[in-house]
Amino acid sequence: MQFPGPAKPPIGIVFDSAMERIDDVLALAMLHGFEGKDQARIAAICVSSGDLRAAQFCDAVAHFYASATTGPAAMFMHFTPIGLAEGKPAPESSMFSKLAGKPVDATGIKSFNDTADGATLIRNALMAQYDQNAAVVLSGPATDLARLLDMYGVKEWIARKVRLLCVAETGIHEDAAAAEKVFAEWPTPIVTVGREIGEALPFPGESIEKDFAYSSAHPIADAYRAYKPMPYDSPSCGMASMLYAVHPNDGYFKLSDGGKPRSLILDPEQKDRITRIYIEMASAKPVPRKPRRPPDDKDKKPEDKDKKEEDKKKDAAAK
Amino acid sequence: MITKKFLPRRTFLRGLGTAVALPFLDAMAPALAATRSSKPPVRMAFVYVPNGIIMDGWNPDYEGPLGELPRILKPLEPYRQDITLFGNLTHNTGRALLDGAGDHGRCCASYLTGVQPRKTVIDIKAGVSFDQIVANQVGNQTRFPSLELGMEDARQAGDCDSGYSCAYTNNLAWKSETQPLPPVLDPRALFERLFGNGMALTPAARARENLYRRSILDFVSDDTRKLETSLGPTDRRKLDEYLSSIREIERQIEKAEKDNAQIDPHMEKPYGTPADFAEHFKLMSDMMTVAFQSDLTRVITFLVTHEGTSRPYREIDIPDGHHPLTHHRNQPDLIEKVTQINSYHVRQFAAWIAKMRSIREGDGSLLDNCMIVYGAGLSDGNRHLHEDLPTLIAGRGGSHFKSGRRIVYRKETPMCNLYLAMMDRMGVHVEHFGDSTGRLDALDLT
Repeated sequence: MQFPGPAKPPIGIVFDSAMERIDDVLALAMLHGFEGKDQARIAAICVSSGDLRAAQFCDAVAHFYASATTGPAAMFMHFTPIGLAEGKPAPESSMFSKLAGKPVDATGIKSFNDTADGATLIRNALMAQYDQNAAVVLSGPATDLARLLDMYGVKEWIARKVRLLCVAETGIHEDAAAAEKVFAEWPTPIVTVGREIGEALPFPGESIEKDFAYSSAHPIADAYRAYKPMPYDSPSCGMASMLYAVHPNDGYFKLSDGGKPRSLILDPEQKDRITRIYIEMASAKPVPRKPRRPPDDKDKKPEDKDKKEEDKKKDAAAK
Repeated sequence: MITKKFLPRRTFLRGLGTAVALPFLDAMAPALAATRSSKPPVRMAFVYVPNGIIMDGWNPDYEGPLGELPRILKPLEPYRQDITLFGNLTHNTGRALLDGAGDHGRCCASYLTGVQPRKTVIDIKAGVSFDQIVANQVGNQTRFPSLELGMEDARQAGDCDSGYSCAYTNNLAWKSETQPLPPVLDPRALFERLFGNGMALTPAARARENLYRRSILDFVSDDTRKLETSLGPTDRRKLDEYLSSIREIERQIEKAEKDNAQIDPHMEKPYGTPADFAEHFKLMSDMMTVAFQSDLTRVITFLVTHEGTSRPYREIDIPDGHHPLTHHRNQPDLIEKVTQINSYHVRQFAAWIAKMRSIREGDGSLLDNCMIVYGAGLSDGNRHLHEDLPTLIAGRGGSHFKSGRRIVYRKETPMCNLYLAMMDRMGVHVEHFGDSTGRLDALDLT
């Protein structure tokens, strides 16, 4: 039984990224920010680089943003596993290797088996989304998504659940065959976000020392500092993809005309507005998680209530 | 060894209304080719316990060869070389997936079907369970394609969990997507199903005969004597042990009926269910042993108690209901009680495994030729989690499994991947089942 109607939750986001660029880390922070403000939900996080430390980092970030949840809600809080690509050597020089000993190093992921197969994780996550209430943000190789398309019966699930695939062009060509397959077979609209969009919308590095200062152990700020010598501004291709996936109709960007895929176009007039929401969401403080339950009867459509009453009557008769 | 006579595998000892199947005897295998073409069949069983497990007492903190086992699994320690423990197997279809509350109904209905059941109390719908797919393929080789057993009386209609029909919480096997197979609960009914009731008489005559409590072995004594003369000493010993085990089952049932009659002298029909949980489990497991031993079936599902059960365990001084206890909210005293219930269940299971292991068959034991899954549809019953499901297999699936290990797979690995691997070993080849993404690897000896 589905629970359509007014209590439909915000859009579920699958974020599949290489986590090799600081832009991906900021996009992850934005996603947590959107979730905290009830504008999106995290459906699944996948790391396509194969870097176990990156998966550990994503897990630590999830715990950081959940840290404001206390009491009985914390007891029943449950963390979704992190997807991780298989068979790729973890680069020793990743920004995450420089975070050893930091609080972000404390995570439940100790070994590869503590992570999930990305394609399976995404499939399972999509099954739990309302129809047309999910989006996939890809920032890195499309390996997981290509494997997802090969799973038995999954294309129908994607078409039913996902309204948009948003592809940051940075890193997608690392697996050309997977990219080709996804662009050819993905059953929903696709929007690509070119590198030039990210270059034109830099995330201001000064924000790290200012807006993230509320925590002395902020994992995003730690990663930002570890990525490159400060100060620096970061391109934002992944952030732009995330923003468009969550708010496609809010006028942040324009779209190219027709065809598949369509491309994101920057409207110069929106530049300051976009930068403001980048900072606001990426630096958002952890907030207590609200329990998510199916809508109450009062929120259901009348026909759902009628069906339940009918079921009860039939049940009584059967007894 | 070379015996005087070759017996067909499907030899029965027959008497009035009785047909007792035989265990695998040396005389049934052409002696010189015994190791090549006459391997005993592979059988599989599922023993399902409800309401999750206290996972701290189940999961060892290591992978690889099994050493010291955690508290709940401790009774299986003597047989650790015969078991394989799995980590991180998941039933995604047991999760809410937008259907809200009702994890007990969903987890049981999806356990062997691998599909999300429809949330309803009327027009139930799940899927064909994988034991039935196997039964459909190999069941024509045995008297019963499958046996569905249980130990707790449970209704089949009505709302048993937040809008989920009782048909979901109280059945494991599904013949079609709308037809569950309710478990046989009464040991007497199961016994008569396996061997006949010893008489093809009218109900009145049968009742009269029942007063004398004749053993079914009395009815087949002529056939037994004839057969014994043609068997070698090893087979004679095997046959004697086997028939003794049947007689022991009869005695257990008679004792239960006698005990129950004392409790309620006005009972119209003797009820052969022992009041004691351990005795009841032993009785059912003894009959499962005989059913496998004599190749009456190769597929059994055993719903120990039903999902969401609030059965108390006074046998071990726990008067509280099982299900309420599992919502322990991390209170140590409640966790301790659930742990004791979990251990108690495993203790009964371990006794069955010991029995299966003690019976010689082919080049190994009866257990070697089985895959007996013990598990639950929830891991953490407090939070209703459907991942890292407590799952073990006892037996080697026909000496295929490299047992004595704990194998931890990646998180979210579908339970249905295990089912595909098991189907392969049952000789049933299917490409997809439920939400499978492939076959579970790393199981085999090679």
